[in-house]
Amino acid sequence: MDALHALLEGFGVALSLSNLMWGFVGVTLGTAVGVLPGVGPALSIALLLPATSKIDPTGALIMFAGIYYGAMFGGSTTSILLNTPGESATIITAMEGNLMAKAGRAGPALATSAIGSFVAGTLATIALTLVSPIVVDVALKFGPAEYFAVMVLAFTTVSAVLGASPLRGVAALFFGLYLGLMGIDTQTGQARFTFGIPELLDGVDVVVVAVGLFAVGETLYVATYLNRIADRMENFGGKVMMSAQDWARSWKPWLRGTALGFPFGTLPAGGAEIPTFLSYAIERKLTRHPEEFGKGAIEGVAGPEAANNASATGTLVPLLTLGLPTTATAAIILAAFQQYGLQPGPLLFETQPELVWGLIASMYVGNVILLILNLPLVGLWVKLLAIPRPLLYAGILIFATLGAYGLRNSWFDLLLLYVIGLAGFLMRRYDVPVAPVIVGMILGPLAESQFRRALAISQGDLSVFITQPIAAGILLVAALTVLVPPVWRRVAARRAARQR
Amino acid sequence: MSARTHLGEAAVSLGLLAIGAFVLIDTGSIPAAQTYSGVGPRFFPYLVGVGLAVCGALLAWRALAGGWRAMPPDEGVHDRPDWRAFALVSAGVVVQMLAIGHAGFIIAGALLFVLVARGFGSRRLILDGVIGVVLVSVAYLVFTRLLALSLPAGWLSFL
Repeated sequence: MDALHALLEGFGVALSLSNLMWGFVGVTLGTAVGVLPGVGPALSIALLLPATSKIDPTGALIMFAGIYYGAMFGGSTTSILLNTPGESATIITAMEGNLMAKAGRAGPALATSAIGSFVAGTLATIALTLVSPIVVDVALKFGPAEYFAVMVLAFTTVSAVLGASPLRGVAALFFGLYLGLMGIDTQTGQARFTFGIPELLDGVDVVVVAVGLFAVGETLYVATYLNRIADRMENFGGKVMMSAQDWARSWKPWLRGTALGFPFGTLPAGGAEIPTFLSYAIERKLTRHPEEFGKGAIEGVAGPEAANNASATGTLVPLLTLGLPTTATAAIILAAFQQYGLQPGPLLFETQPELVWGLIASMYVGNVILLILNLPLVGLWVKLLAIPRPLLYAGILIFATLGAYGLRNSWFDLLLLYVIGLAGFLMRRYDVPVAPVIVGMILGPLAESQFRRALAISQGDLSVFITQPIAAGILLVAALTVLVPPVWRRVAARRAARQR
Repeated sequence: MSARTHLGEAAVSLGLLAIGAFVLIDTGSIPAAQTYSGVGPRFFPYLVGVGLAVCGALLAWRALAGGWRAMPPDEGVHDRPDWRAFALVSAGVVVQMLAIGHAGFIIAGALLFVLVARGFGSRRLILDGVIGVVLVSVAYLVFTRLLALSLPAGWLSFL
C-alpha cells in the first residue's frame, strides 16, 4: 500500500498548475515531433536540455517523459497517412495502417491507434506503478559489481539483439563508448583523448552527439538520397471514428499488444521494434479475417500500436529504478537527470519521492490529454504534414544549431556538431544503428566507474564478477544474448540445408 | 550489389579500424595513476580501442568478402546521390558556424535556413528568407526570454 500512498502524493505534485502545464507542453510537443518526419523524441529532448537547465527538475522531467510517450501517439498518425513511418517503432503500423488509409479507412485506423495507445499507455503506467517498488527493493541490494553487470547486459541487448547486424551494432556501441571516454577521468583527474583542446576537457556533450546524429546526419542523408522520392499523403476525410465491429476487433489486440510491449520495454532488451513485430505476427495468426492482412486489417494496427506505447512506458522501469537506459530516448532522459545532479536508481525513490512519483502520476494525466489531442484534434496534426520538405529540414537545422550553440556559446560545438553529423550520415547510409552510440556514450562512464569501484572493493581481484551470484548470472545472460543468436542461426541454416 | 557499394563499406570499416588503432596508441600517453582497484584511467580506453579495432577489422573483411551482411536493399535509393544538396546543407552549417559569433544568431540562422531550403530544391529564395527570419526570430525570443538560454544578438543587438 506504500506505493499507492506515494502515488497519491505524486498526483498532488503532477496536478499542480505548473506541472500540469509542463506535462501539457510535453505531450503536445511529443505529438508534434512524432507526426513530423525527420524529428524524433530523442532529438527534441536533447535540443531542450540546454534551455531547461535552470527550470525546476520535476517540471522538466514531466515534460521530457511527455515528449517520449507523446511521440508514440503522433508517430502513428504519420505512419497511417504517409508512406514513410514517422518513428522506427511504428514501421508495422505503416504497413497495415497505410493500406487501411489507401482503402479509405484512415479514420478507423487513426482511431484504433489513438485509443489503443491510450489503453496501452494507461495499463503500462499502472504496471510501472506496481513493478517499480519491487525492482527498487531488489536494486537496493545491488553493489558495484551487480550494477556493472546490468550495464553490460544493457550494452549487449541494445547493440547485438536489436537491429539487422549484431556486428554493426557492437561497432556503434564501441564508437559511443569512445565518445564517452573523452574528457577528464572523474576518478583520477587525468585528461583522456582531448587532443590538447580545452573545449574537450569537459567531454563531448550528449546534446551535440544526439543532435549531430539525429538532426544533421539525418538531414544530410535525406537531402542526398531521399529528396527526389515524393511522399504521398492519403486523404483521411476528417472523421476519426470506429464502428462497433471495429471495437470488437480491436480490444483484444490492444490488450495482447500491451502484454507484449510492457515486459519487452522493462527488460534491458529495450526498443519497441521487437514487441511490435511479435504483436503483428500474433494478430495475424489469431485473426478471423486472415484475408484482410496485407490489405489493411485493423488488428494489425491495434496490436502493434498498443505494443509500442506499452514498451515506451516499460523502458521507464529500468531507467527510474536502476538508472539503466535501454533506448536512445531513455539515455537522453538519463542525461537530463544528470544535468540536475540527480542519478536515477533505487535511492532516488527515497531521496526524491515527490519527483519520481510526480513523474509517474503525470503519465496517467498525460495519456488522457493525448487521447483528446489525438482523437478530436487529429486534423490539426495532419496539417503539420503539409509543411514542404525544404522548410521542414531548414527548420530542423535551425533548432539543431540553436541547441548545440546554446550549450556554452562556442563555435567549436558547431564544428563538432557537423563532424558528428557526417558520422551520422555515413551510419545512416551504411545501416549502422545510432541508438548504441547514444546509450554507450551515456552509460559508458557510469559502467567504468562501477567497474573500478567493484575492483577497489575487491582490491583488484577480477573474480568478484564471477563469485557474486547475481552479477555472475546477469553477465552470463549478457554473454548468451551475444552468443546464442549466431549459433542458433547457423544450426537453423544447417537444418534447412539438410531438409533440402 | 555493385562493387562500388562494397568500396564504401570497406572505407567505413577501415575508418573504424583507424580510430581503434588511434585509441590504442593515444591511450599510452594517458599518465597511469596508482589506484586501489589496480585499474587506472587506461584500462577502459584499451578495452574500447581493442573493441573498435576488432569490429573495424571484421567489417572490413566482410566488406571485401562479398559485402556486409543483412544490408537493406538499396536499389533506387542509393544509386543517384545528390551531392549538390549535400554540399548546400553542409555549407549552411559551416556558414552558420563562422557567422554566428559576429552576426548573431538571427542573421546566421536565416542564412542557414535559406541554404538548407535551397539544398532541398526550393527555388523561392526571398520567400524562404522571410520565413527563415520570422522562424529564427521567434525561436530566438522564445529561447532567450522564456527559457533563459543565452544566444548572441550580434549585429542586431541594438534592437
